[in-house]
Amino acid sequence: MKRSIFSIIAIFSLALSVWATGEGKIEVPLRFDRYYNYEEVVKAMEVLHAAYPHLTQLESLGESEEGRKIYVLKINNSKTGAELEKPGVWVDGNIHGNEIQAGEVCLYYANMLLTKYGTNEKITKVVDRNVHYIVPVVNVDGRAHFFEDAHTPSSSRSIRVPKDDDNDGLFDEDAPDDLDGDRNICQMRIKDPNGAYKADPEDPRILVRVKPGEKGEYTLLGSEGIDNDGDGRFNEDAEGYLDPNRNWGYHWMPPYVQRGAGNFPLSGVGLKATNDYVAKHPNIIMNFAFHNSGGMWLRVPSEKSIQIPASDIASYDVIGKEAIKITPGYVYMPSHDLYPTYGDTDGQFFFVFGSYALVGELFQNETQTYSEAKKTPATGEQAQGGRDNRNEQEREQLKFSDNVTQGELYKDWKPFKHPVYGDIEIGGWVKMSSRLPHPFMLPELVHRNASVVLLAADNTPEISMEVFEVKNMGKDLHKVRVRLKNEKGLASMTAQAVKDKLYSIDHLKVTGGKVIAGGKISNYRLDQVSYKEVKPEIQFFAMPGNSIAEYEFIIEGKGKVNFDYISTKAKNVNTSVTL
Amino acid sequence: MHKKLFYLLLSVCLLYPGRHLTAQTAASFEKYHTPSEVQQLLTQLSGLANTKLHQIAVSPGRASVSVLEIGTNLDDAPAVFVGANFEGNVPLATEGALYLAQMLLDSTQYTQNLKWYIMPQPNPDASKDYFAVIKTGAATNLYPVNNDADEATGEDGPEDLNGDGLITQMRVKDPEGEYVVSSNDPRILEKADANIGERGIYKLYTEGIDNDKDGAYNEDGTGGINVGIAFPHLFPYNNAEAGRYSGETPEVYGILRFIFDRPEIAMVYTLGTSNFCLVPPKGGRKGGANLQSIRIPGRYARMLNADPSKTYTMDEVMAIIKEQMPGAELTPSMVAGMLGLGAAVNPLEEDLVFYNALSDDYKEYLKSKNFSTETLDPTPAKDGSFELWAYYHLGVPSFSMNLFSVPKIKEEKAEKGDVLSTDEVEKMSSEDFIAVGQEKINGFLKANNAPEKLNAERIIKMMEGGDFTPKQMVEMLKKSPKKEKEGKPSEKDKTLLAYSDKELGGKGFVNWSKVDHPTLGEVEVGGFAPYIETTPKAELIDSLAKTQLPWLLQLTRQIPKIAIESEKITDLGAGIYKLEIVVANNGKLPYPISIGVRNSQPAPVVLILAGEIELLEGKKRTPIGPIGANQVKKFTWLVKADRNQKVTASLESAVFTDVVKQFNIGG
Repeated sequence: MKRSIFSIIAIFSLALSVWATGEGKIEVPLRFDRYYNYEEVVKAMEVLHAAYPHLTQLESLGESEEGRKIYVLKINNSKTGAELEKPGVWVDGNIHGNEIQAGEVCLYYANMLLTKYGTNEKITKVVDRNVHYIVPVVNVDGRAHFFEDAHTPSSSRSIRVPKDDDNDGLFDEDAPDDLDGDRNICQMRIKDPNGAYKADPEDPRILVRVKPGEKGEYTLLGSEGIDNDGDGRFNEDAEGYLDPNRNWGYHWMPPYVQRGAGNFPLSGVGLKATNDYVAKHPNIIMNFAFHNSGGMWLRVPSEKSIQIPASDIASYDVIGKEAIKITPGYVYMPSHDLYPTYGDTDGQFFFVFGSYALVGELFQNETQTYSEAKKTPATGEQAQGGRDNRNEQEREQLKFSDNVTQGELYKDWKPFKHPVYGDIEIGGWVKMSSRLPHPFMLPELVHRNASVVLLAADNTPEISMEVFEVKNMGKDLHKVRVRLKNEKGLASMTAQAVKDKLYSIDHLKVTGGKVIAGGKISNYRLDQVSYKEVKPEIQFFAMPGNSIAEYEFIIEGKGKVNFDYISTKAKNVNTSVTL
Repeated sequence: MHKKLFYLLLSVCLLYPGRHLTAQTAASFEKYHTPSEVQQLLTQLSGLANTKLHQIAVSPGRASVSVLEIGTNLDDAPAVFVGANFEGNVPLATEGALYLAQMLLDSTQYTQNLKWYIMPQPNPDASKDYFAVIKTGAATNLYPVNNDADEATGEDGPEDLNGDGLITQMRVKDPEGEYVVSSNDPRILEKADANIGERGIYKLYTEGIDNDKDGAYNEDGTGGINVGIAFPHLFPYNNAEAGRYSGETPEVYGILRFIFDRPEIAMVYTLGTSNFCLVPPKGGRKGGANLQSIRIPGRYARMLNADPSKTYTMDEVMAIIKEQMPGAELTPSMVAGMLGLGAAVNPLEEDLVFYNALSDDYKEYLKSKNFSTETLDPTPAKDGSFELWAYYHLGVPSFSMNLFSVPKIKEEKAEKGDVLSTDEVEKMSSEDFIAVGQEKINGFLKANNAPEKLNAERIIKMMEGGDFTPKQMVEMLKKSPKKEKEGKPSEKDKTLLAYSDKELGGKGFVNWSKVDHPTLGEVEVGGFAPYIETTPKAELIDSLAKTQLPWLLQLTRQIPKIAIESEKITDLGAGIYKLEIVVANNGKLPYPISIGVRNSQPAPVVLILAGEIELLEGKKRTPIGPIGANQVKKFTWLVKADRNQKVTASLESAVFTDVVKQFNIGG
């Protein structure tokens, strides 16, 4: 019975949500002064694909727990080469179901690449040189529910794998409830002369703690809801919880070590499908995973116990140090400086797939409006986000909601008859607040962040090669010298991948003549070469970012000799010389 | 003859499938079954009543991983999961699982209230090796792995140069060689010790050629991933044979999903190379969460008004948090998670209590069967193994068994003073042990690699003082790391050679013989044969299984039995009653075991009241929480009810069979 009520509500709210977000036709170029629900994201990808059929492919990489398709929009100009030959750039978003603007960043980036292809030189080059895999929504169920159902700004984050959070034998049975039917989960408060809170004298919507001995006015009752399972607790077993960014394989830890890990690595079926899709695209060398919020660019590692090679940090810095200028206010740091995590996406991409993984934490709520703290240097408790500072911030945020968004971000407290508590009030920040920019601010956010992706794509390795010296050593013996250049900022292979032997190490292969000796020219001026002891015709080495490497081969024979530089992620190049 | 009978029986079964069939598909256990025979056998067994075959994964080599369910008629019963031969190179374990299935199908004694899931062959790719023309002993499947990260995958595996069907070793005289022939046994090579004036003569390689001509020998053979070390507890990231992460290979992923889809699994058995029945999971690992010595990270310490430089016990931390957050519902597990204390890496003390007690029982059991344990020690469970994962992540009792260890061949008794065996000493009283005299005690200590500080004099003193018993000493010696001088022929090598010579007619060791090698010139091929340690002659399968496996059946009696012991109703007047229900665990194991409490993985047992009553105090659904072996827990409600109301109390869980009891209130 309970279930059928649920499904009726679901159907009703689905209808409502179509009406609510029906903000006009979805067409190319896409609009970014609005948010797209799951169906609309799919529609947006479809219209992009329809408008640029020769540059795009739209495929479903798999299905979620609730059977929604996870779409990837592939952007590849087949005229400039086959997909797997080109450095791949993976851009995903919204792996946490509530972090929806991440999806818009992905859509914007796709829209930017396609609509400006052929007119903007930089974009044209990137589209022609790279292949892009764009997955605007990884947690498709999470996004769908975030739009359809009542939520807080932070709920609907989970993968829809039920978990018995309160260990009572029932699964997901006590989520918050939308008591006033406004599609937001706000806060509940009750008038209470013995309460620990009172209204802020400057803005009565804000509750402040009473000082010792002071008379209280309110008790805070937590998120909107009832005690669905009658255990005396409210809202303690909501959807999931399986955190899709703690469920990946590399350095995964079980849920008792880290909440939300899921029972085993990649237990989320959509995540498993995503992982398997990436595994089939070994050309991916750069990947972005967009989240909200806080304004951060996070690189691996996510645990202090793990070290990565210095040269990989140098590659990351090429992107990270510019990214913070493109997105003013953001910080760039290793992920563990935020907090340590196990089994996150970027660990899997970097340590398993050998890709430079960056997480973009979109949007800084506190910077959208005036802040006294920014004017006057903070001291003491204020510097640590102390109480006074927080109240001051919230006052300004409320003014921002009132004056800039015409009150759309906050619901004033309104009386409600609660089945258990009786007369209470419901109010507070709405679902589409706090972690999300108001739609009027969205265009700038998506553009700046997409520009960081473009910067990274433009920095994926590009190798060139030339024969720069041929010397006859008598008879049919020649000394041939080859120079390779990577003029981009990212290495052709991470040093970590070389170290861990993740896949075939990039190599220079000589065919067509017998290579008697060969090796790296360690000092050209002193004519010093480190010859490789065995199999000199294949030299294994990756090309660091912005680097030059010179190799020498002593070759016996006549005719055409070929030099091939073969890389899994960078585009292969070849040259030849006739002896 | 047996074989014919077997096929006859099979065909009878195929002709008359269905419910009337009893377990007459008797498999014969006089040979090792090939992977495809195992699969066929499983398919046949699944034709019997109350059985079902689950295909849970397909290996990279396109072979099925199957689980035989016995007890499909039970829909609300606890289950035992049995996995065998995860490394694929222990064919005896696979036979053991089939044997166990056969025992369960032959008698209903252990299937009436208990469901079984039996997985004899989780690593079918590697399992083929034992039956191959050339045996390597490898544990890896056919997952493509480019071990040397060159331009080709799987291009430089070993070769059988001497044509004996076995991959062993090559020794080559080389000025840079590190090895010399052991003075104890010329078959064994040991590392040269420059300190005593030795200089190496030989280089050692695995048998084969340098197929890819890169100067390295056999560094990139076919595959793959070893299923037996690829589970998520202590996943060995530094071991390429584990893959890059747990669940990368489909066998492991399929097994993890299958088991987590079945919360009724209350106990897990592993047949392989470790033996938790005899030797409890080992402890002493550093770096894990120690809940008795907790440092509170700075940011929490500030919040909680605690000292980040001090260590606290869990109880102290709980008290501190409760002081700051009155009314918060806390468990040690929650606190450990919040403070980021990390994973448990050592078996919990409370769990070692039952492991040790049951180990004693098992020794008694083996003694009653006249089964000798004078063998090489079972291998400790490996990092990333299934049996460790079952304990640490599923939180259920995990018992493993190696059905065979190489027997220690009795050495000719030394003339002066025999060396006492650990088994003998263990049973001695302190007085008897002291009475054997210092010389013999020192001999015993030396034979068991006792630390130098531990001499007879000291031990006698301790035993006289009454704070050390021979049994404790043996346990300590067994736990202490075996000191083995690098490169010297170990006790193990000696035992293996003696076993090979006396039991296998020398076939356990391939004598060094000259072979002309294309790049190394003259080499000698030889060394221990693969499988010598794990795989006895096929004629022993039946007796090994018959003697040891019944213990695993008996162990299921330890599974907790949670019952409503009694109820008491006190009339407080005016239609108000006090209801007390006593719940008991009549099993010999706590529920959950300690690690299960820590990881909150086993499903809760919930006491549910139903009836036309109003609860003034207490809840309709009450999770009973952890309950010890042979323990009771009392739950109390204050109830308002009309006279003579029927009340139903039930104990429900996803693990155990539900218990329902009805009684009247006010009647």
